[in-house]
Amino acid sequence: MTEINLPHAGIVLLVGPSNSGKTTLLNQLIQEQQIFSSEVVSSDQFRVLVSDIEFIDWNRRPKNEADALFYEYQQISKEAFEAMDYIIAKRCGLNKLTFIDATHLRDYEREKYLQMAKRYHVPAIAIVLNLAETELLRRDLARDFPRGKNRIKQQYQHFKKTLRSIKKEGFRRCYIFGEEELQVLNVNRLDNPLLIDVGNGIDIIGDIHGCFEEFSELLSELGYRENEEGYFIHSEGRKILSLGDVMSRGPRSIETLQFFQKHVTAGLAYMIDSNHGWKIARWLDGKNVKLAHGDENVKAEFDEYESKFGKDETERLKEQIKELLLEAKSHYVIRKNGVNVAVAVHAGIKDHYIGKQSPRISDFCRYGDTDGLDETGKPVRKDWSIAHQSSEHILWGHDPRTQPLLVNNTLNIDQGVVFGGNLTAYCFPERKLVSVKAKVDYANVPDNPLKELESKRLAPPNIGKFLDGYSVLTEQYGEIAFYADSTKSALDDLSHYTLPLEEIVYLPPTMSPTPKPSSLPGYLEHPSDAFDYYQANGVDTMIVEKKHMGSRGILFLFKNKQVAKEYIGRETLGSIYTRTGRAFFKKELEEQILQVLNSDLSSYFEKYGTDFVLMDAEILPWNLKAKELIMNQYAHVGEMALFDRRKLREQLKKAAANGKDVGSWLEETDEKIHNALVFNEVYQKYCWETEGLAGIQIAPFHTLAHSNETFFGQPHTWHMEKNKEFSDLSDLFLETEYRMVNDEDSMKSAIKWWEEMTEDGHEGFVVKPESYVARHKGKLLQPAIKVRGRKYLHIIYGIDYLQPENLSRLKQRNAGKKQRNALKEFALGVEAVNRFVRRESLERYHECVLGVLALESDPVDPRL
Amino acid sequence: MQLSITVKGPGAEVVSYLIAKNPTNLYERGEKGLTVRLVYPTFTSEEVQFLIYVKTDPVDLVKNSSDFYDITHYINDREFAASSIFVSSIRKALGTALNGKPAEEYASWVEHPFEMELTFGPIATDLSNRELEALFAPMGYTIKIEYGESFLREKSSARFITLIGKQTLQNALKHISILIPVIDNYKHYFIDERELEKLDRYGEGWLEKHPQKAFILKRSLRFQKMISQSRFYEKETKTEEKHEPPKLRLNDLRYEAIIKYIKALPKKGTIVDFGAGEGKLSVQLGFIEGVQEILSVEPSNKERLKALERFEQAKEKRGFVEPQSLAGSLFYYDERLIYKDVMVLCEVIEHIDEYRLAGVFETIFKDYRPEVLIVTTPNQEYNVVYEMDVAMRHHDHRFEWTRAELRQKVEAWSKLYPYQVSYQGIGEENQQFGQPTQMVIFKREEI
Repeated sequence: MTEINLPHAGIVLLVGPSNSGKTTLLNQLIQEQQIFSSEVVSSDQFRVLVSDIEFIDWNRRPKNEADALFYEYQQISKEAFEAMDYIIAKRCGLNKLTFIDATHLRDYEREKYLQMAKRYHVPAIAIVLNLAETELLRRDLARDFPRGKNRIKQQYQHFKKTLRSIKKEGFRRCYIFGEEELQVLNVNRLDNPLLIDVGNGIDIIGDIHGCFEEFSELLSELGYRENEEGYFIHSEGRKILSLGDVMSRGPRSIETLQFFQKHVTAGLAYMIDSNHGWKIARWLDGKNVKLAHGDENVKAEFDEYESKFGKDETERLKEQIKELLLEAKSHYVIRKNGVNVAVAVHAGIKDHYIGKQSPRISDFCRYGDTDGLDETGKPVRKDWSIAHQSSEHILWGHDPRTQPLLVNNTLNIDQGVVFGGNLTAYCFPERKLVSVKAKVDYANVPDNPLKELESKRLAPPNIGKFLDGYSVLTEQYGEIAFYADSTKSALDDLSHYTLPLEEIVYLPPTMSPTPKPSSLPGYLEHPSDAFDYYQANGVDTMIVEKKHMGSRGILFLFKNKQVAKEYIGRETLGSIYTRTGRAFFKKELEEQILQVLNSDLSSYFEKYGTDFVLMDAEILPWNLKAKELIMNQYAHVGEMALFDRRKLREQLKKAAANGKDVGSWLEETDEKIHNALVFNEVYQKYCWETEGLAGIQIAPFHTLAHSNETFFGQPHTWHMEKNKEFSDLSDLFLETEYRMVNDEDSMKSAIKWWEEMTEDGHEGFVVKPESYVARHKGKLLQPAIKVRGRKYLHIIYGIDYLQPENLSRLKQRNAGKKQRNALKEFALGVEAVNRFVRRESLERYHECVLGVLALESDPVDPRL
Repeated sequence: MQLSITVKGPGAEVVSYLIAKNPTNLYERGEKGLTVRLVYPTFTSEEVQFLIYVKTDPVDLVKNSSDFYDITHYINDREFAASSIFVSSIRKALGTALNGKPAEEYASWVEHPFEMELTFGPIATDLSNRELEALFAPMGYTIKIEYGESFLREKSSARFITLIGKQTLQNALKHISILIPVIDNYKHYFIDERELEKLDRYGEGWLEKHPQKAFILKRSLRFQKMISQSRFYEKETKTEEKHEPPKLRLNDLRYEAIIKYIKALPKKGTIVDFGAGEGKLSVQLGFIEGVQEILSVEPSNKERLKALERFEQAKEKRGFVEPQSLAGSLFYYDERLIYKDVMVLCEVIEHIDEYRLAGVFETIFKDYRPEVLIVTTPNQEYNVVYEMDVAMRHHDHRFEWTRAELRQKVEAWSKLYPYQVSYQGIGEENQQFGQPTQMVIFKREEI
């Protein structure tokens, strides 16, 4: 029985003269459902497709006609092959298998497809049909369009040459079959060895580098237990996948290698090819390689092993390890329900390499994208991750990062355990990170990459990344794009008015009013519309927080001055800044407030073991920031309105007294005087004189982060408890009044509460879903909706906004853009803080902050 | 916005004919989205008072304005203030009187001076009461000013004006037609030729001899191009020799010193003008022989636009290398700026908080590595000479250093890097306090 092993993808070249049975063979395979008819292309088929003509016979024609017909046939053939090759290339690109049914008797015809296979990183195999010339001639007479004796003979001459050379041409496999072998053919289709199923879950491990102790600890933390035969088994049947570089640099390379040898062989683990792995593999394979960068430690370990266990045992082990390393795949594609969901690779991959194998791909996967060497001889690493667009989540290591780094759906989980960092595991598909700290800095090299990264963490961001517009990939909202114009105007702000870039680690999002105007007459905004929004989006429990009549401020408070340097590069007790990143207070006052808060919070820092606390707050009174606005605008306008209207009433009254029929004019004027009085009453609520610290109140309604964690996972009830905790610690802190809303009654009482406070001229309240980040059917929901009081809105929409003819027009407002911006800015804020706490670079957290300012520079109706 | 006119004495009733409004009816007309109303609160043979006021539409008023995205735009006094909006709204209603064209039989009253009291307001103006008086007194009015009720603030900012005097009704209306917009100093429309014509018409007979004529013209027509076309325009013979403020001259001296220094450099092909502002220095650098590239870096979009205009104007001149205007900032890393021959920070560092400068200079010395870096900044010691009444020369200055302070800072910034430092002074020298501007030159040494 003859067996053919077909690769999962690539090119299968049928080779043989006309009449050798290529088409017959393929048709048979199709018939037997061993292959799809769509997997076969033939030159005959394409000749028909491009010209409707399958064959032209120019034999027995006068010379001039024969020449013309020959020329025509050549033209058709040329176009047919071009079209066919185009299709084949597309199929190779998509990692499909294609049988090419043509004679392929000339070496350049075969070379063309070998090149194509190489270009698309797919294998090419050849199936050669070797029939006797007499048989070919016999068959020719029997067919519909005989090729003719001469042509068959000519082809057979070429075929004989082909037979001699084809084995050396570089086909992955080359099958040569005679007539008999073709009788019983068993076709075996091989799976793509790079595809693995997610199964019961896979724990992907970053670069171990011989840190076996940490690795063992990590395994036990992940829930693997050693059985009697020395296998580490997970009760749920999970598997281990190493991203490579399991050896070198660290202390226990052999044990780690043995572990993987054993578990990979048993099908309990996978291990990917890597730069160090490849080096050691070649060394074990007897290649002349220079062992450096910690690879020399592996040799030393083997030398020691030999002295302990003898030469034979060592050779046996070396052989096993060599096999393991040489067999290691460039990458794995992890599939779930038959769909590619993730890619595990050592150093990096291009999207069109995924699921394919070739020496070039292996190289790229081992070393990543490199761009020559720098002055000190180190490879200049290019950022392949920026170009990643396909949907697979790419997990990689190789280039240590202080924290797992998510960029563009690629996640680096090499946290440099051998350099004294962490060994990270990523549980997939749960997307959970588990890590173990290194016992020591094993590598102990002067250019420790973690330290180098850390020392460059606060380097000024590269402005070139932003100037033409850019985008940020956020966990909460996906990719958010910013245009050049708004980015530039944000850069302008950040170059003139704001705090230093390092110190702005968060900016709060804008807040949308109710998505729809109130349907109630006499109201522009009403709480029920906010409740409706959340309920319609599946949120059952809401929290309503009384809006403080102040302005938004961010407090970034450090335990002490010295510790701040480690985080933002400057010794400071902290900073208090506005929602546009500017200092909230004048220098001296800020210093004073920081001093007080620092001493009030000293026990807090102790209790939570944190170096800083970051909070989002409302700072009162309002006029600290807006005094000028009130003085120049509101007070003036209020005075003008009242003066004008009172004078008018005086005159109209006189006219009425003298018998003029100005009743309706008077009535209207009275109403408007009332409006002006409300207006004057409302803005005055925002002003009280403050001198220094006295009178300043800060209500921290979100506790965003400590030095080692962020609190976006905590519900708002937790944030309110923190608010209370802070107000107990310092007189500067103010508690926020709030209510929970989760049924008809609580809703009614919340509305009543709102009516009461706003009737008093109070601004209103904010409705939030219970959880900090709320989603409905995958869609991010508004983090908060403000509902402003009827009276308060006089100072936003104008003195007479409630006059029916005005209100009906104002109700046509559209909050769509405001809502979109609120979501984007919210996602950016969360992203910025997460990145900062993960100790990512300034450039990484700054791009989020810059983004918020860029969105804010994009004009939106300011009354919303 | 309202105006009330009271006329006393025999013949007062004629006023209703002069303004062609029936005293028994209420008058109400729509006028470009506004409502104009007129009523006679008093109508006797000896005294007639009419009140005209405009009801604005606050929603319509704030629509389609360039300030649409400014919150202060929605709470503004335009709804109330007696302004050009008011004057143009009542023009039609009072047209008969303003043009002096009543029915034949009353024509003689057009020229009749009445005892008159005009009250209008509220006004929002930057003019003092004395200045207001100076506008009306020349026509023989006495002026009374009433303030509104102010909350929070010590001083009220709304006033009503009452003018008392003997005037023909037409003249009185002509006066206020021109002077209300002058007081308010805000025009709600574009100023064009029609404005000249209005001024001609309503200014006739009184504006020619008005002592404040130049001021009235200036506030009415705004632009010199328009003002010079007015028939009331008189060329001012300004004889007062203006003393050049020392600051202006100092600026030129600074540019001069920088350019002189760069000219003498052997390598000056590529120059970065960092914090270039509106490009005044950049444009001058463009004329230095041997310069091939000038990068004019500035974060402010507004300033950059001005710079582009400046470059455009100089473009045609011989031997001019047009600077490239780049959006850039000292707080970022910018790979376009590395390895240039000369980098200039002219009056830039004092606009940056002191504690941020070390980082800025680190980026320059470590990453950009210019062959020569020129920095200028004020010499704080010299401020005494200026007898300034403020602490610093510019409100945005974050610091001003003495010569010793600067040296100390320079030492700290540059000690890790291969730069040779030298100092120069710019401007008139004072024995004790040195020169007003300090210039530091950092020269990269070969290593």
